[in-house]
Amino acid sequence: MKSLLTTILLLTLAFLQAQTTISGTVTEPSGVPIPGANIYLDGTYDGSSSADDGTFSFTTTETGEQILVVSFLSFETYSLNVSVSEMKNLKIALKEDVNSLGSVILNAGTFSAGDNSKASVLTPLDIVTTAGAAGDYIGAFQTLPGTSTVAEDGRLFVRGGDANEANVYIDGLRVFQPFAATANNIPTRGRFSPFLFKGTNFSTGGYSAEYGDALSSVLLLNTIDEPEQEKTDLSFISVGLGVGNTQKWKKNSLSVNAFYLNLKPYQEIISQRVDWIKPFESLSGEAVYRHQFDKGLFKLYGGLNYTDFELIQEDINVPEGINFGLKNRNLYINASYKGDLGNDWTVATGASFANDHNTIKIVETNVDNDDNAAHLKVKLRKRFSNRFKLSFGAEQFLGNFKEEASDISFGNFQSSFKNNSTAAFSEANIFFNKKLAMQLGIRATHNALLDFTKISPRASLAYKIAEKSQISLAYGDFYQAPQQDILKYNSSLDPEKSSHYIFNYLYQNNGRTLRAEAYYKSYDRLAKFDTEMPQFGSNYNSNGDGYAAGLDLFWRDNKSIKNLEYWASYSYLDTERDYRNYPERATPNFATSHNLSVVGKYWAKDWKSLISATYNFASGRPYTDPNTINFLGEKTRTFNSLDMSWAYLISQQKILFVSVSNVLGFDNVFNYQYANTPNINGDFARRAIRPTADRFFIVGFFWTISDNKTDNQLDNL
Amino acid sequence: MKTIIIILSIFAITSVNSQAAYEKGMGKAFELWGNQKNDEAANLFERIGKAEKDNWLPFYYAAQIHIVTTFGIKDAEQIESRLTKAQNYLNEAKTFSKGNAEIMIMEAMLNTAYVVYDGAKYGMTHSAKVEELYQKAKIIEPENPRAILYHAEWQMGAAKFWGKDPKAFCPEIEKAISLFDLEKSTVPFYPSWGKDQIERIKQNCK
Repeated sequence: MKSLLTTILLLTLAFLQAQTTISGTVTEPSGVPIPGANIYLDGTYDGSSSADDGTFSFTTTETGEQILVVSFLSFETYSLNVSVSEMKNLKIALKEDVNSLGSVILNAGTFSAGDNSKASVLTPLDIVTTAGAAGDYIGAFQTLPGTSTVAEDGRLFVRGGDANEANVYIDGLRVFQPFAATANNIPTRGRFSPFLFKGTNFSTGGYSAEYGDALSSVLLLNTIDEPEQEKTDLSFISVGLGVGNTQKWKKNSLSVNAFYLNLKPYQEIISQRVDWIKPFESLSGEAVYRHQFDKGLFKLYGGLNYTDFELIQEDINVPEGINFGLKNRNLYINASYKGDLGNDWTVATGASFANDHNTIKIVETNVDNDDNAAHLKVKLRKRFSNRFKLSFGAEQFLGNFKEEASDISFGNFQSSFKNNSTAAFSEANIFFNKKLAMQLGIRATHNALLDFTKISPRASLAYKIAEKSQISLAYGDFYQAPQQDILKYNSSLDPEKSSHYIFNYLYQNNGRTLRAEAYYKSYDRLAKFDTEMPQFGSNYNSNGDGYAAGLDLFWRDNKSIKNLEYWASYSYLDTERDYRNYPERATPNFATSHNLSVVGKYWAKDWKSLISATYNFASGRPYTDPNTINFLGEKTRTFNSLDMSWAYLISQQKILFVSVSNVLGFDNVFNYQYANTPNINGDFARRAIRPTADRFFIVGFFWTISDNKTDNQLDNL
Repeated sequence: MKTIIIILSIFAITSVNSQAAYEKGMGKAFELWGNQKNDEAANLFERIGKAEKDNWLPFYYAAQIHIVTTFGIKDAEQIESRLTKAQNYLNEAKTFSKGNAEIMIMEAMLNTAYVVYDGAKYGMTHSAKVEELYQKAKIIEPENPRAILYHAEWQMGAAKFWGKDPKAFCPEIEKAISLFDLEKSTVPFYPSWGKDQIERIKQNCK
């Protein structure tokens, strides 16, 4: 009897649970039905998929308030918290996921390279397999539109700006001396080994409020979060030797590498236009340590570089040439932490420090300088939803420069300055929908040395006009303190200012990308002086100004021809400026009206070879001929260079690499130096400034040793 | 005392009910999958996973469906969103089962899917991950036939790419075949797939 009672009781319990039918329709915001969406009561088995017409219906025994969840690919998950009895004939319009591949991107001014496929126009591999770049991280960016070919310098000249207007950041922190020390007219290279980085953003204008003190451009490099595996890399190159090793244990990893470069044997074989007394020799070491916390990642980067060379620089006014020697020692430390604070808050903070020491000898003058610089930064970001994110932060720059020059004629001369500045920034990222997005930012900077406070607004807007194409606009004001060579003599100048106006069109379709960008940039308050070089006693003012306008085109195609990838960039630039010691507005020597780069990479499967070619063209560079009355009124002949490289994979982990720059031996002229005084015919004689050698060869052997035997150094070439 | 018995039996029935519901649901999901209703099957696996809260298997299969689906489609946006979704499922699965060789194998498949879809973009970074995941899985379960078979297929692909003989890995396939026959699990719906792929992969050995 009792057991019967129990049974009845249990059965009643089961049957008492009455069934309710839940029904409705799932659509896109436009009303188009979504088939295949997943609809269910959270935490229960009750649910269904939507039919072809977007309708769904299922029964549940649940009662009272429940959470109905609707999820579908490329859409934001929707949830509804109401009583089950009210879940009838629901009309659910899912919001598009603005993070999906088909969404609009805020890209005006920017080139991305990395895994973030949405915004990328280059892959990490592209950056290092570009012929002519020869493993220089900066080299590949010089094939992108918006840059001018200034082959004798090696740094980035962006949209009519000189190289000092571009800043480099690693993991959000400033790199103070990103380029190796070099002499006039001998191209420099980036200090950092390419294999430390996973992603890159190169902005040619209109960049985020997070970055300041750059008038033209920022290059943002991100180091690898976690190396894939333990390995040892060995490189034997015609000009040096390198070794690298990566170790992983528990939540830590450490990568170290060292490189020794000596151009002496090379320069003994290949004749040079420069008379080297002590050929270029450098030793560099880098280490990155990473530690993974439960909710964050800590990275510590340290690099030490030592460079030494001495040469006789040809000079038309000094028949015996100018003896120039340089010893440079550079230390750079960068520590950063990125973490999750919970509740959709994230923090990115860190500090970088650089010490740069130069011992320079110019004929009888000895110069010793020491530059200490530091950057401290903290940035917080709150994700309110996929559609609205807010970030803000503050940073402090500290700079301390000291120089001592000694010369028989004027004795000892000391100069020094402290360049400290503080900045705060905030930026909001708003996606109205999958088609329309906006970023608004503001930055305030106070510089203690020059005693100025400036507010700079930044804005960009992107709108998707069709499935494969979008347009975007960007605007921003940018301030930068004058350069070191001026600040050491004068600290009463204004900050230099530029304003960017950018219009961008982007078309992306299955491996093909077309990007067109038109821009106008104005310059104001540029520093000026009245002597040949900035020096003690020159008159300084901030009355310089200028403009740059142009059009950048980029076309990339990975699909049309099998195993061939290529891209082409063309830049048109119209610029004039009055700065430094210019007597009037003129187009500077580094600015060329037309720039063209074509980069191709062909994977020859049967030969196990990656063959790359890069062709660079630049129209003539302005120079001043004192035999005429015009300042910067003449133009050199055009610049042409065809660079080729061939990587042959002996086996999966052994690579033989050959690279030749300027294969066709074009005779390029960058500029002319004229005599200070006319000769007996009343003419000013001149000397062409040309590359130190027409061609540069590299032969290398790269060997990777790792347990799994798949990795190689193709990505470092 | 009686009350206790009654309460205990109610609990027992409820838990039997939920075990039955789990098995019924999983069975239904596999049936949908077998009938090529991939998205419906993935949806059902997701629902089961969300309801079960501590079981990695439903998420594992939901991920597998999305990964396998991408091998048959071309649309980049769909591939990317499916693979992102699959990674999210696997991340859920990993929170319920740490150091699980089967999940590592599935994650290796996911990374393989990225390499297949766009080798230029993902080849360098994701190939190393695939290799690392198979090696880890093999350390945890040296006799797992899926780890052996699919690692061999991956290595054969690499060997072909580098102009080497893929036949070097054929003994691994034989090893996998014998291990498939030994495979037994007491956990319902435990992964046991892969045997039907042997013939296809064996083509490399002819």
